Amino acid sequence: MLITFRLNGIPRRMDVDESMSLLWVIRDVLDLKGTKFGCGKAACGACTLLVDGQAVRSCSYPVKLAAGKEVTTIEGLSDGEILHPVQQAWVEEVVPQCGYCQPGFMMATVALLDQHPQPTDDDIDKSIVNICRCGTYYRMRRAIHRAAEIMSQSEKRNNL
Amino acid sequence: MREERNKRGLTRRKFLVGSAVGVGVILGVGYLSRSMIRRYLAGIANTIELPYQGDTDSPSIWFEVLADNRVILHSPKVEMGQGTFTGLAQMAADELEVEMSQMVVVHAATSTGNIDPFATGGSNSISSLWIPLRELAATMREMLRGEAAKMLGVDPANLSIRSGRFLGGGRQITYGDVVSSVEEWHVPETPPLKVTADFNYIGKPVPRIDLRDKVMGMRMFGMDSIMEDMLYGAVARPVHIGARFVSVDTSIAENMPEVVRVVVEKDFAGVIAKSRVAAHQAKEALVVEWEYDDNWQTEAIEKMIRVGQGNPVEIQKDGNPEKLLSSGENIITREYTSPIGAHAQLEPNGAVALVSEEGAVIMISTQVVAITRKEIAQRLGMSEDQVNVIPTYLGGGFGRRLHTPNAVQAAVLSKAVGRPVKCFFDRKEEFQNDTFRPPTHHVLKARLDDEGRILAMEHQLSSGDVMFGSPMFPRIATPLLGADAGVWRGGMIQYGAIPNHRAVCWRVKLPFATSWWRSLGLLANTFAIECFMDELALKTGKDPAEFRLAHIEDNERGTRLKEVIRTVVEKSQYRDDILPNGRAMGLAASTDANTPCAQVVEVSLQDKEIKVHKVTCVIDPGLVINPDQVRAQCEGAIIMGLSAALYEKMEVRDSQLTPTIYGPYRMAMMRDAPREIDVVILQNDDQPGAVGEPPLGPIGAAIANALFRLTGERQRAMPVMA
Amino acid sequence: MKELGGTKKRKVQLCLGLIIVFAGIAFLTNSASGHYQDQANTLDSSQLENGHGEVAFRKMMEVLTHNRCINCHPSGDRPLQGEDSHEHYFSVQRGPDNHGVAALRCESCHQEENNNYSGVPGAPHWGLAPKEMAWEGLSEQEIGAVILNPVTNGNRSLEELVRHMTEDSLVLWAWDPGVGVDGQPREKPPVMKEEFIAAVKEWAAAGAPIPD
Repeated sequence: MLITFRLNGIPRRMDVDESMSLLWVIRDVLDLKGTKFGCGKAACGACTLLVDGQAVRSCSYPVKLAAGKEVTTIEGLSDGEILHPVQQAWVEEVVPQCGYCQPGFMMATVALLDQHPQPTDDDIDKSIVNICRCGTYYRMRRAIHRAAEIMSQSEKRNNL
Repeated sequence: MREERNKRGLTRRKFLVGSAVGVGVILGVGYLSRSMIRRYLAGIANTIELPYQGDTDSPSIWFEVLADNRVILHSPKVEMGQGTFTGLAQMAADELEVEMSQMVVVHAATSTGNIDPFATGGSNSISSLWIPLRELAATMREMLRGEAAKMLGVDPANLSIRSGRFLGGGRQITYGDVVSSVEEWHVPETPPLKVTADFNYIGKPVPRIDLRDKVMGMRMFGMDSIMEDMLYGAVARPVHIGARFVSVDTSIAENMPEVVRVVVEKDFAGVIAKSRVAAHQAKEALVVEWEYDDNWQTEAIEKMIRVGQGNPVEIQKDGNPEKLLSSGENIITREYTSPIGAHAQLEPNGAVALVSEEGAVIMISTQVVAITRKEIAQRLGMSEDQVNVIPTYLGGGFGRRLHTPNAVQAAVLSKAVGRPVKCFFDRKEEFQNDTFRPPTHHVLKARLDDEGRILAMEHQLSSGDVMFGSPMFPRIATPLLGADAGVWRGGMIQYGAIPNHRAVCWRVKLPFATSWWRSLGLLANTFAIECFMDELALKTGKDPAEFRLAHIEDNERGTRLKEVIRTVVEKSQYRDDILPNGRAMGLAASTDANTPCAQVVEVSLQDKEIKVHKVTCVIDPGLVINPDQVRAQCEGAIIMGLSAALYEKMEVRDSQLTPTIYGPYRMAMMRDAPREIDVVILQNDDQPGAVGEPPLGPIGAAIANALFRLTGERQRAMPVMA
Repeated sequence: MKELGGTKKRKVQLCLGLIIVFAGIAFLTNSASGHYQDQANTLDSSQLENGHGEVAFRKMMEVLTHNRCINCHPSGDRPLQGEDSHEHYFSVQRGPDNHGVAALRCESCHQEENNNYSGVPGAPHWGLAPKEMAWEGLSEQEIGAVILNPVTNGNRSLEELVRHMTEDSLVLWAWDPGVGVDGQPREKPPVMKEEFIAAVKEWAAAGAPIPD
């Protein structure tokens, strides 16, 4: 099936099996490896990306549903070398250890901050349920608050 | 060939220098010849801290100086999150006199010759390379200095160095300039190493060297690897314990879309297809006949693992504990258990392999580069030199990647089609074919005297294998050591002031694979011993911290242990009570690979759920290379240990290990992680020690001890339930 | 011993046999209820007293109390899942609009159709019934009262209620629940879909009685 969607702002057109999950289309057909496979059952969240701004676990999302939509992966967060506030916060708090699960967490965080620009710890607990085996949750929580701070500061600057 | 070199290089370190276009390739030629096996065993027997096992005798690439003045360090240790690349870069940068931003660290492919023959693990990457890496770096710096002095026409002693740049006689020249023009090098004697006061980076919380790549989602893990013209493989794996491959009907799979080849070997069957999805679907269509013996259930495993079966080996003894504990007043006996644990690292195991007539190339997340290479060479009938293992960043290690039969399978599949094949586990396969943390059973026995002091204490522990049976561990070592050092890690009684004490280890051979899981036996052994110490303290009416301190001897090890306990009590304001906010505190301490660690937790019950609010962790790993990464390791170990202590458990049902997915295999999530983790680092040694595993020790016991104060009920089984 | 082969195969065959028998019964019942349905349209009030409504009610409740329905009509703030109706793994939350929270919407994982490759179920507008429509832990009679009360049924008239229960794609998903993460088919409600639809209609036509 011929499918077209925008990936990180760039229209992509491909002929793939419509039931193939968006994860494998992105990883193996389009060769962007930032979106990770962890379980293939929408359980771990390593494959989280954004579809029209909403967090989606791409291992369980058939590519046909992405047709005509805007898909954002970790590679699309930064503006060239300029990091997205969430990435910047992750760097400031030195969050990653092995790093494998981190893109999924960062994408979920972008979706969280979109709905809750100043999330409470409770908001974080309820929304961010991905799995990290290295146990970086403690730093991630700090980084999520820090990202909120960076975003609100840059908003203030833009409003001046 | 190699022996000859060894002979020539016995006393004097030599450096070979090669050059490529714009690149000076510097090859470190080693200096000492040692009996590695003996040293390995001695290391285990003493402290389980191993010196670097790699061969610095033969030509192996350690550093490359690039024309743009960056320095590449080829690391024989792999990066699995523990921050080793950053620590090694700090150590090298200090001796090389370059900026951290000039350092690039890559995994040493086996073709570089820079191969660690054992593993990345055991919390020894930094400590084992502390001397050799800095000596190599310092020697290279002096080689560069000598050549720079010639080029600038000044005395080497009059050259100063700043950021990889020699300054002298009013001129300057970069390392990159030097290596671009020199053809013959003079290798000096090893210069003295820097002292603490002169460190630029060692001891500083510099950011992780891989930080930016990891937040950008760069291609860096084994599962991100690709090769040109690559196909995808999948291997049928058994779901039953002990299942042996008998035969396979491939007729359906062969005719499925996108399937390129079905491969049947004597021990496995696999498919190769044009996409991962097709490969895994075709694999499911293989009708495999497996043979296996028994129908195992959890209950049978739990019975097997009870102390008193198999072979006992005494691993520690002082005084005459048997006699004092055989009969009499005031003898207390308690039993503790821990379940089967899964590694559950996020990146599944697998490899990308290309096998041709000339040789094999394997890209893989592995903790055992040399063993991976050896096993592939053996299976393919090649020499090890023909196999190049290119290690990648690991999406979690935790001991799961100390066995890599999957790499052999990927290689076999590739050989069958003569094209690169990428072959990875799915999550169910990962869970069912894990090499699990063995279940354990502990019997603790103590006799108190009239003053409430421990007169005698005994720890009997029973466990499945950890080191024994591992391809990493020389078979010869089993009879030599008697007991599995991985099993009894943390199992010796650290309270040397108890006049009579002993520890006994029972070996049980389980029907499924058990192996290394971050900190090995430490988590379960500390859970048992430190819960028992708390029980004894409460029985005697003494403060648990004071009670512990009173039973620690005054040698160097004991002094360091006492200090972490005293510090954690002070920092956490520990008291054996329920706080006004409804929380209770719990304390525990352990010594692992010479690193003492004490933790105090604050715990409450919320809707019957155990909530760990705060952890104060005091650790003394000796000299610290990167305090921020020591903190990160403590935080991570605490959360991983908390997860094991409160939630994780594998079951055996009808010979299948279950569950096979996150969720049912409950692990700590964001909401379960303590909101406060206060890490205090002491440095009572001038050498760097173990960091990655020791902080996993106390957490389980500390939580159980706090829980007892909340509920009045003692939980003696992990996972601990309210 | 070789793979349980013999015993297992026999078990499988036995199960198949049972399914065939059940299917047969279901087919018979089904056509019977179709017959009832035709009748229901022409029932007069005296016939309504004859207990048709009660039988239909019982049949309907066999479905409504099944975990396929209860799991999305929980009384708490967490969806339920599985044949044992355990709380949804990962502490998944109901959220302010019954469709989850900011970065963990129902549709973050559940799409408009089942994903039998990942084992994640899906149907249009996947989500929880509002809390006032909770059935978890209620008796058949209490559920009956809940679904009839406009305050607790989403302000639906009886006609709208019948339409919801017989036409809504998420409700009817219960008979097309796909496979779980283990690849095994999910359990369906104990009453066939057509039979359930007929029972709902019959019950409504009978004046939606709530028998004791």
